[in-house]
Amino acid sequence: MITLENVVKVYGNDTVAVDDVSFDVAKGDFVFLVGPSGSGKSTLLRLMSREEIATEGDVWVAGRNVTEMPPSRVPYLRRSLGNIFQDYKLLLNKTVFENVAFALEVIGKPRHVIREQVPFVLELVGLADKHERFPNQLSGGEQQRVSIARAFVNRPLIMLADEPTGNLDPATSEGIMMLLQAINETGTTVVMATHDHRVVNMMRRRVIQLDRGVVVRDQERGVYE
Amino acid sequence: MLARIEYALRETWASFRRNLTLTMAAVLTSAIALLLVGATFLIQRAFENLLVQWRGDVAMIVFVRSDASPEQVALIDSTLRAAPSVIDVDKLRYLDKPESYAEAQRIFAGDPVTLSLLTPETIPTQFKVVPLTEDTNLVRSLADQYRTLPGVEAVALAEDEFEVISTLSSFVRNVTLIMSLVLLAVAIGLIWNTIRTAMFARRREIEVMKLVGATNWFIRIPFMLEGLLQGLIGGVVSCFGVWGLNSAWTNGVATFKPGTGIASLVVPGGYLSGVMLVLLLLGAAVGAIGSAIAASRFLDV
Repeated sequence: MITLENVVKVYGNDTVAVDDVSFDVAKGDFVFLVGPSGSGKSTLLRLMSREEIATEGDVWVAGRNVTEMPPSRVPYLRRSLGNIFQDYKLLLNKTVFENVAFALEVIGKPRHVIREQVPFVLELVGLADKHERFPNQLSGGEQQRVSIARAFVNRPLIMLADEPTGNLDPATSEGIMMLLQAINETGTTVVMATHDHRVVNMMRRRVIQLDRGVVVRDQERGVYE
Repeated sequence: MLARIEYALRETWASFRRNLTLTMAAVLTSAIALLLVGATFLIQRAFENLLVQWRGDVAMIVFVRSDASPEQVALIDSTLRAAPSVIDVDKLRYLDKPESYAEAQRIFAGDPVTLSLLTPETIPTQFKVVPLTEDTNLVRSLADQYRTLPGVEAVALAEDEFEVISTLSSFVRNVTLIMSLVLLAVAIGLIWNTIRTAMFARRREIEVMKLVGATNWFIRIPFMLEGLLQGLIGGVVSCFGVWGLNSAWTNGVATFKPGTGIASLVVPGGYLSGVMLVLLLLGAAVGAIGSAIAASRFLDV
């Protein structure tokens, strides 16, 4: 589903964020990218969603070479990805329903699809009764659920999660992880960058550990060390 | 498809209302710029009416009495052609009664009293003379000579009637043209700024849209429509302005004494509609250019 081949990413001021990284993620896999701040976790996610372009090497996502993809194709790549973030990136002037509907609306989905799909995913993330609330009226965990609903509503092949539990307490984080696991069980590949020991140790899934842009460990059913 | 159109229109309208102050400034500036463009067209057309009989380097007009015999006309013609060193005989033109009448329609457009006195039968016909020489004294002495020919009613010289107006005309045209170009550029700048501000205000939305895979065109189009609409509204306002100015002018001219020449400075309705159409198109173009630049440059917010 995702293949990185000798990927190097150097930022403008000669900062090497990713240095010769190669790995494969199979369809339906659940992978943690772990490591301290600045180890290159987020950069790898951004390379996969084509927010950054690799300086060297190739990034293959869902059968497409992202590195050589023309800019006009990038939106179609993004439609097969679901992105979630530490800061949720919800639109504060829209309700829960509208936030999720927005993701379908802006890729031109007709209204009957929106009316059908949005309540379904809100039910899935456990927010069916709060669809008229605004993000500010929700807890952090609930806001992250909205953002997961938004990422999942288009049935992506891959979920890219950048520190999704970074702002949440342990109990809430656990709920979010259960949700990601449920999504993973539908066949969606999940790649999650985190430095949250607890969730990694709880899940016992594949762990790729990074240090200063280099893969130092790649372990099935791993823990955070 | 329907969902996309609906989305674009809804977003355009929402953004339009959100930035009302800036939008008003952009609309008013484009309206004033376009009004000046329109005024330039009208003034130019008015002067052209005044100068129509002198078009094409004509420097002398020999008016022939309407009751002159064909022999007298032939004599005048041969006399004019007898001075090929002074007169450009290839460009010598004779306007018969229907042609002279058609021309008078334009010259006296704003002077219905004079116009009503003229008929295709009683109108003087005319020879339009293009001289080869720059020597105005020579042309003047020729004119004195032609005045004595039988059948000649009058001889008019461009020097006497034309040059002041011609100079004035090009001066006015240049000034209004430069001013309107500058204002058009300002209008494009203001629309650009309005759209840029609108995009900045919605940068989070744009970020999310890119994240979930909206195409750049999908993101851009509402903003471009917004700019187009601003220019177009400016165009509509300027049309009202041009129409109002022209009506006031036409009414004012009607109070002048007939025969002063001011009357020909009136612009006919058909031409005015043409100018208004141009203003609408120009307004739309100004809006489209301003917003297109903004939308393509500031998408990476």
